[in-house]
Amino acid sequence: MQIKIVIGTVAFMIAMMVFGYSALREPARLERFTNAELGRSIEAGSEIFANNCATCHGVDATAQECYDAQGNQIACQGLPLNYNGLLCGDVSQRMKDMGWSGTKHDYILTTISAGRGPIMPTWANQFGGPLRPDQVQNVTNFVLNYESETLCAAPLVTYEWPELAQEFLAGPDVTLPADPARGQELFTVTYGCSACHGTVDGSAPAAIGPSLVNIETDGATRVDGQDAQQYVYHSILYPSDFIAPDCPTGPCSGPPSVMPANFGARMGDNPQDMADILAYLLGE
Amino acid sequence: MATFVEQVREMGIKQAVVTKADEVVERLTAGMNINDIRAALRGDEPRRPNPRLRPHADGFWLHIRPSFYHTGVTHIYPTFRLGWLATFMLVWETITGLILMVFYTPSPLAAYGNMWNILGNVPLGQLFRNMHRLGAEVMVLVVALHMLRTFVTGSYKKPRQFTWATGVLLLLFTIFLSFSGYLLPWDQLAYWALTVFISGGAAAPAPPIVNDTVLLVLQGGPALGADGLLRWYLLHVLLLPLLAGIFFFVHYYKVVLYGISLPPGREQVGEDTAKRVPRDERTYFTPDILTSELMWTALATLFLVAGSLWLWDAPLETHADPVVTPLHVVAPWYLSWSQGWLKLADKTLVVGFIPLLLVAFIVMPYIEVGKSRRYADRRVGLTVAMLFITLMLVSNWMGSPEFRVQSSPDREVSIQLLPEEGPGGLKGIPFEHMTPGTYSPGQVVDGNPFLTRGLELFQSAMFQQSCTLTGNTQWEACKVDVLENGTRRFSNFFTSDAMPDPVAKLEIVEVQPNLKELILHYEVTNPDTGEVSTTEWTRPRHAFSNYEEECRFLNKSCATD
Ligand code: HEC
Ligand code: HEC
Ligand code: HEM
Repeated sequence: MQIKIVIGTVAFMIAMMVFGYSALREPARLERFTNAELGRSIEAGSEIFANNCATCHGVDATAQECYDAQGNQIACQGLPLNYNGLLCGDVSQRMKDMGWSGTKHDYILTTISAGRGPIMPTWANQFGGPLRPDQVQNVTNFVLNYESETLCAAPLVTYEWPELAQEFLAGPDVTLPADPARGQELFTVTYGCSACHGTVDGSAPAAIGPSLVNIETDGATRVDGQDAQQYVYHSILYPSDFIAPDCPTGPCSGPPSVMPANFGARMGDNPQDMADILAYLLGE
Repeated sequence: MATFVEQVREMGIKQAVVTKADEVVERLTAGMNINDIRAALRGDEPRRPNPRLRPHADGFWLHIRPSFYHTGVTHIYPTFRLGWLATFMLVWETITGLILMVFYTPSPLAAYGNMWNILGNVPLGQLFRNMHRLGAEVMVLVVALHMLRTFVTGSYKKPRQFTWATGVLLLLFTIFLSFSGYLLPWDQLAYWALTVFISGGAAAPAPPIVNDTVLLVLQGGPALGADGLLRWYLLHVLLLPLLAGIFFFVHYYKVVLYGISLPPGREQVGEDTAKRVPRDERTYFTPDILTSELMWTALATLFLVAGSLWLWDAPLETHADPVVTPLHVVAPWYLSWSQGWLKLADKTLVVGFIPLLLVAFIVMPYIEVGKSRRYADRRVGLTVAMLFITLMLVSNWMGSPEFRVQSSPDREVSIQLLPEEGPGGLKGIPFEHMTPGTYSPGQVVDGNPFLTRGLELFQSAMFQQSCTLTGNTQWEACKVDVLENGTRRFSNFFTSDAMPDPVAKLEIVEVQPNLKELILHYEVTNPDTGEVSTTEWTRPRHAFSNYEEECRFLNKSCATD
């Protein structure tokens, strides 16, 4: 019996020491698991993104390279997500532009959950979308994970667009003559204008925005004192300033316009894009 | 009686305090004072009348325990302490379970996140989760072994038939307790194991209306969802523990009533002498049984704590997803036999058979009424038992993942190296060693032993699923069968569906600075038609996801070392 008391006491003490030892390791272990949860959430998010979002936002979320279900390259209809204006800083440039006062995480999560405008779908279950709350959380974590030191070290491009198209085209950032072929590429693929406007030769019908087949003549009639070039230039930069009368589904709604307002910011990286698109649309 | 103040006046403060303490201890133990306890621990003879019997007569905690045992049943044989251990596990699961309950909400919105919170945010949370889950599996094993021992020693025979019957119910509750807990993490593992079993249960040989209703009640809807989770949770924390508790007391009451049966050789055939214990054969509860039980409590605690820390980690897969069926759904090992049976016989038959088996177990002691408990007289019974155990072990193996249905050969390679869930050959490579690039199986990457080891595993996984027609020394030569429709099928030693001369590669690309994608490409040319088919399997891998740790614990061959 005495030996049992001894064995029991020793075993009990060792058990308590094991407890103590594991308690000492806890802070490091807790951190590993907190990280692992995030890591696995991002992994799951990357798959959700590849399956649901890349068709519009592009394979690397820069809205440059989009494919349909058959693997054909198509115009990217969505905005870029992988750029410093959206992701860098506690309050990013994009959040300021949109007047968002919550956190960046909430900005992304809310947009994904509820969708926005006519193209960005609603994703969350509770608003009728296909994704469960944990999946929305995962894909949000994935998008936020594009933020990196390299991305944020790159300067935020804020190009000052001149008021007048003439002045812009004569400026130092544009090489003339502009290239309409490149403009077509930008219109149909890079910026995905054709996803809303159809093609300018009429081969694909307009879906959301007005057809631009006759824009070089119609454009001059929209706003007093603006010729077609000035009007198109202004419409791309500030869609809500003037709302076109007829959209494919009836009168165009707005302001605010359904057309994204950030093409100015996106083309700021390379203002030549604007010149080439103008050349393509206006057939110069 | 004198008041404390009077006592102080009478005998001085010191003596008065000692007397008071003695009195308190005697009340708390319902009969033993400090000296009695010290004498018991020293192993002295008790004074008369024996104060060590009073806690059994007057106290609550010991009133259900006998005050002495027959010395013949206090050794390891015949009980092997298994009944005691089962009781210990029941208490252990209750305590660890109550702690986990504090951090758990039975809702599909919260449950899975709660698990990560327990793992990553609650101090000692993982340890408690492991202890509870390990305990659950140990308990099933212990209860099954306890059943085996009571069968082998013939302890189910008259007058203990009813003890056995309640025992069978306890086994059922134990398995259901374990299995109902399985669902609660709400991960893929849990969700699909439960879904498969519930739908199996609804294949019973009964009118469809009954089966449909059972399915609806158990799932809480057309598929397992919020209501279903809540139901299984309530089963797990309320109904089943309650039933197990009640039946435990019935069971134990009968055990005390009839006494633990002596080793079969120690009594005459047909006699039951357990309750007639001669004076010199008595082992008293206090102090002998008590110290022995405390020692085993300490040892069992030590084993479970250390095992949970160093031997085993409870798994946690990705969030339950009703629309994504995993490639291989695995049942917990203690139910794997039923999966094995499903491969042998029709579903309805199997599902109908299991309740019959249960009833057969319950009524067994009332039918098998042979008088003798001795081994030599029970050759038939013991042989049947051994055959039954063998059947269960074989069925269990047949139901286990080893015996699963094969999918296509490239998928088999993929899930071995980069499974959807948990660790696998390539997943465990430390993140910083996943150098972007394209690699072939078996390639040696200089200065990168981890990747080299991973590619070695790639090569050996490919080897099992490939063969060669062209004399490629990497693969074994193809065995060729011509099927009825004229097409050829290729096989090797391991599989009847091998890829002929495959070209496989691993591509690692960086998706984000701390996220990589591992892509397995397979290209197989059909030697009959010349048609080339390519397949791909992609898994993401984040720097933080820490599959290394899982690899170490689950002992999957990973390229972690
Ligand atoms: C059908 C095309 C399409 C799909 C599919 C799509 N999006 Fe979008 N997304 C858009 C468009 C268009 C916008 C811009 C909406 C606006 O501002 O009017 C947008 C905006 C966003 C924004 C806000 C960006 C900003 O700068 O404000 C985020 C974040 C986003 N999407 C994430 C996702 C995620 C994640 C998915 C996949 C679950 C997804 N999107 C799927 C078209 C799409
Ligand atoms: C989300 C769909 C969408 C995308 C993408 C889009 N637009 Fe628009 N656009 C519209 C809508 C809707 C209108 C009409 C409302 C308005 O005038 O603001 C419009 C109006 C216009 C107009 C004025 C047309 C008129 O008849 O007055 C021009 C020019 C134009 N868009 C050019 C472009 C160019 C160039 C791009 C690509 C860089 C582009 N849009 C991308 C939806 C879109
Ligand atoms: C939760 C599960 C169970 C608990 C906690 C439990 C507990 C106990 C305990 C403490 C004893 C005292 C003797 C000993 O330690 O062996 C006992 C005896 C017994 N148990 Fe169990 N038991 C359980 C399950 C079962 C099962 C599954 C069976 C068989 C189907 C069974 C049949 C018996 C029988 C026949 C005895 C009498 C043994 C004898 O008198 O020698 N019990 N049980």
